[in-house]
Amino acid sequence: MHIVKQLMAIPGVIAAGEYAYRGDRFSYQGALTDEFARMASILCRGNTLSVNMQSEIFDSFAENCGCRPVQGWIVRGAQVTVCAVGNYFAFIENREELLNDVMTIMRAKVGDIQDDLLVNLYARLGGDTKEALY
Amino acid sequence: MNLERMMELPGALAAFTYSDKGDLESHVLREGTELTKQVLDLLTHSCVANQAIATMEARGWEAVTGQGGFEPLKGFSVVGLEWSVVVNGNCGIVVRNRDADYEATFNALQAA
Repeated sequence: MHIVKQLMAIPGVIAAGEYAYRGDRFSYQGALTDEFARMASILCRGNTLSVNMQSEIFDSFAENCGCRPVQGWIVRGAQVTVCAVGNYFAFIENREELLNDVMTIMRAKVGDIQDDLLVNLYARLGGDTKEALY
Repeated sequence: MNLERMMELPGALAAFTYSDKGDLESHVLREGTELTKQVLDLLTHSCVANQAIATMEARGWEAVTGQGGFEPLKGFSVVGLEWSVVVNGNCGIVVRNRDADYEATFNALQAA
């Protein structure tokens, strides 16, 4: 089953979606409008790019310290939590055990994110990103 | 905050506190971990930055969409390849991914 559909089948998941690392498309299911899903995709891509930049700095001080490449991030709000793994995101209610279940499913279904994530994220910045990074 | 107690959380590799500017103030590292004090200090600065950004995004999201439930922020986590850092306020915990209980970790930080 597709990951977004699987996530949406869980009670307490408000919305879930997928965005292109290059930032040019997105898809979603759940309680969002097209415009809000577009905004969510931009926000998730921006945060993912930011935390990956940070992990590259950590890695330069302690190589293979276990942070890089970043697999995702979580913002815990008062009643709502936003989870992002790879290029998938989910808005969930703060219900008991829901966060652990959603993270387990997202990590298992998306799989380990590899270093090529950064090449894709940086693709729109111009130049030979592969050469610049590696 | 009792760092030794935080180290009892599932998969805990490090527990730490930091100032509002992100300077590392106190920490406990599990023996054998690849993490160093220097990495923790970088990490704490990123924690302050990420929480500020997340608060700005939550506030903006609520204002633009009319949806509630995001503010006040209860924490932020970055999930790395082998470990995750979970923070709230001025304290944080690094947990091994395969043992991580994100919910318990967020709850412990909120109670601290």
